Amino acid sequence: MADMSLVVRGRAVVSETRHLLFSVMPGAVWIIVFLVLPSVYLMAVAFMTNGPYGQPQMPLSLESFRQLAGFGFLGWSPGNLYTLLRSLWQTLLSTVLVVIVAYPIAYYITTCREKWRPIMLLVVVVPSWTNQVIRTFGWMNLLAPGTPLSDAAQALGLIAPNMGLYPSNFAVTLGLVYNFLPFMVLPLYAAFEKLDTAQVQAAQDLYASPVRAFWHAVFPQTLPGLLAGTVLVAIPAFGMYVIPELLGGGKGMMLGNLVANQFAGSANWPLGAAGAILMLIATFAGLFAMRRIGKRLGGGEEVVI
Amino acid sequence: MKKRTLQRGLSTFWWVTIVFLYLPLLVVMLFSFNASNSAANFTGFSLRWYERLLGNEQIISAFWNSLVLAIVSSVMALVIGCLIGYGMYRHRHRKLGWLIVLIYLPIVLPDIVFGISEMAFFVSIHRHTGLLQPGLGTMIIAHVTFQIPFVALIVYSRLVGLDATLFEAAKDLYATPFKRAVHFLMPTLKPALISAFFLSFTLSIDDFVISFFTAGPESATLPIYIWGAIKKGVSPEINAIATLMIGAVAIAAVLSLMFNRKGRY
Amino acid sequence: MTTITTRIVAALGGLVLAGGAYAEEGKLYLFNWTEYMDPEIIEAFEEKYDVEVVQNYFNSLPEMLAKLNAGGMSQYDIIVPSNYYVPRLIETGLVQPLDHDKLTNLDNLKDRFRDPSFDPGNKYSAAYQWGTTGIIYNSDTFPDGPKSWSLMFDPEVNPSYPFALMGDGQVSTGAACAYLGHGYDCTGVDAWKESAKLLIDTKNRGNFSGFVDGTPSLQQLARGVTHVALSYNGDYMNFKNEDPESFGNIEFMIPNEGTEMWVDSMMIPAEAPNPDLAHKFIDFILDAKVGAQLSNYNYYSSPNAAAEPYLDEVLTKPPVQPTEEDMARLKFTPSLKGQELQTFNQLWNEVQAR
Repeated sequence: MADMSLVVRGRAVVSETRHLLFSVMPGAVWIIVFLVLPSVYLMAVAFMTNGPYGQPQMPLSLESFRQLAGFGFLGWSPGNLYTLLRSLWQTLLSTVLVVIVAYPIAYYITTCREKWRPIMLLVVVVPSWTNQVIRTFGWMNLLAPGTPLSDAAQALGLIAPNMGLYPSNFAVTLGLVYNFLPFMVLPLYAAFEKLDTAQVQAAQDLYASPVRAFWHAVFPQTLPGLLAGTVLVAIPAFGMYVIPELLGGGKGMMLGNLVANQFAGSANWPLGAAGAILMLIATFAGLFAMRRIGKRLGGGEEVVI
Repeated sequence: MKKRTLQRGLSTFWWVTIVFLYLPLLVVMLFSFNASNSAANFTGFSLRWYERLLGNEQIISAFWNSLVLAIVSSVMALVIGCLIGYGMYRHRHRKLGWLIVLIYLPIVLPDIVFGISEMAFFVSIHRHTGLLQPGLGTMIIAHVTFQIPFVALIVYSRLVGLDATLFEAAKDLYATPFKRAVHFLMPTLKPALISAFFLSFTLSIDDFVISFFTAGPESATLPIYIWGAIKKGVSPEINAIATLMIGAVAIAAVLSLMFNRKGRY
Repeated sequence: MTTITTRIVAALGGLVLAGGAYAEEGKLYLFNWTEYMDPEIIEAFEEKYDVEVVQNYFNSLPEMLAKLNAGGMSQYDIIVPSNYYVPRLIETGLVQPLDHDKLTNLDNLKDRFRDPSFDPGNKYSAAYQWGTTGIIYNSDTFPDGPKSWSLMFDPEVNPSYPFALMGDGQVSTGAACAYLGHGYDCTGVDAWKESAKLLIDTKNRGNFSGFVDGTPSLQQLARGVTHVALSYNGDYMNFKNEDPESFGNIEFMIPNEGTEMWVDSMMIPAEAPNPDLAHKFIDFILDAKVGAQLSNYNYYSSPNAAAEPYLDEVLTKPPVQPTEEDMARLKFTPSLKGQELQTFNQLWNEVQAR
């Protein structure tokens, strides 16, 4: 008898496993074949040699990483380093600006009447549903030379006469902030909505100044949302391609453009692949760091995404 | 007193931000009706750029490409993603860490790395086997890849939100797994599936970078066409197409709001 | 509704076959520069052979090469690259040799296009049009602008008006080389390094507005986004003719330091779906009357000797036909390969990144 039940249980386990395979496998195989394999292939390309016309070739080498670090045929040059620093700086700057704008907005929404809140959130999110290219094109129209905004900036002496606000690094930052604002508002709103008001009340009684009350009672509670938003903003901003390409006017090149260029005209696939690896490392390092900080702050796994 | 000033300040800030968010889109829409070619001066109302759109074969074919790409990829992602979502739910007590990693991969990978890996992969496969020629087919593959996770996560979270006893009841009620799927699972999941489909559709329409790199010469979508037109020299026709796309998004927003209210999934 | 169903079915079919060669019979896929083809010529060709011509466009040669590498090699029948890309395409095996038996009109080409240095014996290419790349500028801003690259490279000549350089790195580098006195067609690390330095300094000036391709830069100039840029003589004439109002104050000139002369040639990609029809198309364009019609439409010089009697008068004058003096200042952009190409790419990458 005991043997029987074991057999039955064994069969059940087998069928459960088969069930798991049938339900999960198509998607898992799809992602492995069409994303994991291509990524692995790209990583392999980074370790190959650049052919005479930009195609990857044998033998294997670390040449592309040397080139990425700036060592070319003519000695060291800082171009790629500039690009990397520019990417980091733009990411940092735009993330900070996004937080500064999103924080009061998210809070304001929670203070409004409940029936308006979903609509207000929708109003914030809808622009990000239109295509990135169209949104950026809108800014090209707004910031070009001769437009009211550019004229105003000229009158204030912010830009040289006859020039527009676009193309410039400023336009790139603005484009990034515009693009990613909703990604920060949503998680921050979720954090504010869960805010423990009793704690805030207590803090208001405890601390004399509202600034200190905010710092000790409100801010820590919104940190998980802030972190989630930072991940959602900083990672895609770091790899941005469209915005620097359209708004930067040849001065605002970021890592995404460096990578893309290597697969276009001035082809050098291995160098482009090495750049992609750098971007991946930065992405995963960012995710990992956020996770660590999130855990230390007591937030659960859900902090990340 | 203090609180009121704060509230008023916040309200002002809110409206300024809304202007910031909508100004670029409004400018695009306004100038799509401009009578002249100028990007700086509005000289009068006209529909000439819209008329031009209708006569432009490239735009029409780009429109069809966008639509077909979005529909086909969303349907495929719905089927595959729904299966994963269900599998994740049924076997949530097992250690499925590898699956979670796999599912989050398309979400966390930077667009440009995603697009370029696939492009490099497709081009190499095509060179050696003749298969996977860049075109609408490869774009569909790429789009399905980034849509699957969203579908799976929506379906999974809907199932987790359900009362577990419902499943037991369904098991007693319907004899075969197939019947159970048709009569119980599908109706319960309907709102989640509709919402997942709309999300996939929007993601597909909204994507530029991944499409751009996986496209073949004949399969330009509307965003790719617009990108080309911008690079070629700004023309007011772009404003007109962009306005139509913004209009479509506005309609989708209203629809999603209505669904959200009714369905409350 | 039927359209969308058929389109979806076609897309799924393409997916199942994973997009094998599904080119249709009776279609010619032409991959050409923008604003470069008379629609009436296309109509005449479609009528003559009862086929359909599908046109796709590019704005720069790097863009063309990238598309060709990403599957275009088996999806286009005709491409129209410029001289300095021809050897590159031949050596990478992206194009196929022409069958001269099918090209009865090849002898219509002028002598100097019959055996060009970039493709001896016309083995792979047949000339389409030729022209020059020069400086376009706003004559209200620069009423007596010098006939020189200094409009871009000298901050004292142009301290504050926005200007653009060419998106194609080889052309921008050539311009810098010419300004520095090394000649437009400079090669070699020293000359390149010096011009890369000049380009980096130039692009970091406040009034530099970007690297723009030749045809868009004309649009930008007309809209006041820039006041000086690089473009092609034929496109300039074409735009000015079409919209005399916006382009009235825009002039084209060949700088004294020298600039580019180019020849665009028709070639057939290695795996073109319909090479037979492609040969017919090339022969059609090489016809005396069609060749003249093409030049009369797009304002570029014809390489076709037999077409001469049918050409409009405007084509015999500058800027379409440069003066003898200017002619002597024109050079081909050098065709790079191997180590030279890689070195150049690194320098250009550096210019873009800094």
